[in-house]
Amino acid sequence: MDWKIEDLEYWDKKIRKIAKEKYDLDWFPIDYEVCDYYEMIGHMSYSGLPTHYGHWSFGKSFERTHQFYNLGMTGLPYELIINSNPSIAYLMRENPLYLQILIMAHCVGHSDFFKNNSEFKNTRPDDVIFRFNSAKKRIQSYIEDPTIGIDKVEEVIDSCHAIQYQIDRTNKERLTNEDKINNLKNVKDVNIFKVPIEPDYDIMGFLLEHGSHLEPWVQDVIDIVRDQAYYFMPQIKTKVINEGFACWVHFNIMNDLNLPDELHIPFLKSHNQVVCPIVDKVNPYHLGFHIFNKIYKKHGLKECKFVRSNMNDISAIRQFIDEEDLKELGLFTYSKKKDVESVDNVSDDFEWQEVKDSLILNTGVNNIPIIYVDELLDNNTLILKHEHDGRDIDLLHAEEVRNHIEDIWGFDVKIFTMIEDSTWEI
Amino acid sequence: MSRFKVHKSSADRSAGDKARHKKKIEKAIKDGIHNIVSEESIIGHDGKKKIKIPVKGIKEYQFVYGTNGSKTGQKKVGTSKDAQKGQVLKRGQKKQGSGQKPGDKAGEEFYEVEIDLDEMAGYLFDDLNLPDFEKKKLKQMVTEKTKRSGYRKKGIQSRLSKKKTMLQRLKRKKAAIKNNTFDDSTDERFPFHQNDMRYKHIKTTKKESDSAVVFFVMDVSGSMSKAKKYIARSFFFLLYHFLRHKYRKIEIKFVSHTTEAQLTDEDKFFNRGSSGGTYLSSGTDKVLELCKNEYHPDSWNIFTFHCSDGDNWETDNQKYIESIQELERVSQMYGLIEIASGDSDAYYQPEYNISSKVEHLESKVIKIIKIASKDDIWKGFQKMFGGL
Repeated sequence: MDWKIEDLEYWDKKIRKIAKEKYDLDWFPIDYEVCDYYEMIGHMSYSGLPTHYGHWSFGKSFERTHQFYNLGMTGLPYELIINSNPSIAYLMRENPLYLQILIMAHCVGHSDFFKNNSEFKNTRPDDVIFRFNSAKKRIQSYIEDPTIGIDKVEEVIDSCHAIQYQIDRTNKERLTNEDKINNLKNVKDVNIFKVPIEPDYDIMGFLLEHGSHLEPWVQDVIDIVRDQAYYFMPQIKTKVINEGFACWVHFNIMNDLNLPDELHIPFLKSHNQVVCPIVDKVNPYHLGFHIFNKIYKKHGLKECKFVRSNMNDISAIRQFIDEEDLKELGLFTYSKKKDVESVDNVSDDFEWQEVKDSLILNTGVNNIPIIYVDELLDNNTLILKHEHDGRDIDLLHAEEVRNHIEDIWGFDVKIFTMIEDSTWEI
Repeated sequence: MSRFKVHKSSADRSAGDKARHKKKIEKAIKDGIHNIVSEESIIGHDGKKKIKIPVKGIKEYQFVYGTNGSKTGQKKVGTSKDAQKGQVLKRGQKKQGSGQKPGDKAGEEFYEVEIDLDEMAGYLFDDLNLPDFEKKKLKQMVTEKTKRSGYRKKGIQSRLSKKKTMLQRLKRKKAAIKNNTFDDSTDERFPFHQNDMRYKHIKTTKKESDSAVVFFVMDVSGSMSKAKKYIARSFFFLLYHFLRHKYRKIEIKFVSHTTEAQLTDEDKFFNRGSSGGTYLSSGTDKVLELCKNEYHPDSWNIFTFHCSDGDNWETDNQKYIESIQELERVSQMYGLIEIASGDSDAYYQPEYNISSKVEHLESKVIKIIKIASKDDIWKGFQKMFGGL
């Protein structure tokens, strides 16, 4: 360890001064916790939240990360910060000083993004720690309740996790079916007896609204997982520009710090590792850093901050990635044919648009199929539909998820999708 | 304002969740282990041999895009300025160290769990039991065991410990020098004394144990093809470890037969070549003969397991039936394992195979199972020992 806490405080002060005065950033206070790699993996398994309900899947996540770490497969310096007020960030004891400075500057970028980006406006960062803590305690009490027990609780959590990202992707407040009927009353040709009257994308919300037959503790567990999903959804939607913004912030602040060479040179090396292209995927750090660099050069600081406040990955890519960027980044599409993967489109004069379309389809939340509640029949059968956008869903997975939903719902669940242009029932 | 804290808690916050996950993995091992018991690599090794078994990760299902088995995948995006249209993507060694087939099913997680055969036996056999093991009287066999247990001053000459005795003399000598009763610098002798003598002490312990003998009987006639013998071998291998795992003191005897039976050793039993016809009765008669001479039914629990392809000489059938009826009277269990894989006559003409001839004899003692392929081995095994 080549640093002391005082060193961190010294550099933190400088970072904050630049962030405030030069870039006019506005972030939550940050609580840095220094921990070792083992604790770090522990925090990573719970997405950084200091308290979180228990579930075997987090144990699995730990084992996997630990395995990768031991195999040397995760070589990136860890940075982990959570969207809360104050933000909580973790610094790994094993990291050298230059990396701690880089990570602190990076965290300022993230915290500013959390605080200002419109996608995050309903995440309630002030009480998130409290909410997760309370959820943990409630779930623990169900586990300890002799009439419920861990097996039942786990089963419900398993089921909820299976549909956790099938939530509404707009940031609107959930409307009950009744609200929707009132809104639609004056529109002709609306069957007001159909439940739900409009497609409901918030499956867990729907189960809660119409699940008065569910035991109270089950409803509570669904509510807990749903709350968590809504808390994390903005991070899925802004992975590229959130990381991009944080990288852009750390890169500029690090340069403004006028670090001595022995810190500056390793910093540059680490920075380049973080934002380097990866052959078979899109590195969000690489793409996001490119986007903000471009905006800063062409439109200045104000525009950068406008994007960080008002956009998500998809809108930012649509607006700021053009033919030239695709070429500069070297993006291409590929797919598997029989046993080999080969390149389909490269970003040239003729096909860049296709690459861009594919990029948008493969970004963040677009990787998650959209399934909505179509109808609740009189016999309580739940009809779900897949919004087919040219991509099929994996039927095996869908069937397992269907079973999970049935486990909670207690009645038949049917899912309809399209396979080769015809309807397919799961 | 930022704050810095050094985290000092030593508690592992994920310990509980890891334990739950581990339980699930163990269950997966238990559920999936029978798939590997018939793998060649583990047959014939002893308990300490480590085997690696792949265990499918406990999957968490969500809605995902997929190709549902179609050969053409969906388009993904990559990053490389050198990419050329149509160029084949070569990915380096991805997902090292997990030993699965590369990249076919994306996201398929495997854990490689290393266990030794004893542990495997634990997973496999804990729910299974030999039948009626406690029923018989006189079932306790007393064995005497001797064990070294310290040293004594008295004993027989052959157990004299020269080293200890010498040490005693040395001690006495040093003490004498210290007390000035003996001068080391002179030529005076310092002889051994009766009190220096130390003798190894040996204790005998009596140990009671279940007295049981298990006969492994295998038909090694010409019709037992290599594949069938492999199945028999696997079955006996499982059985062997099952018995070893469950019962400390058990005698296993190997009998192989064609039209004549002979007592053999483990090595020959599993590896001997074969030819000739089949009298199943020769095997069972041999068992009866051994029971008469060495393992008397009054003091032994007797179990017999007989692997055959079910192809018996017509003329022997009656004799065989009588023979196993006799076994039913004197022993605890007779299991017939008929290995009827696709290459045997019995498979195509079930009316000729032996199991159909003795089916009506099935009882608490006589068990008949049929195994067609190596996938059936575990099922058959469970049927024989679990369904009781």
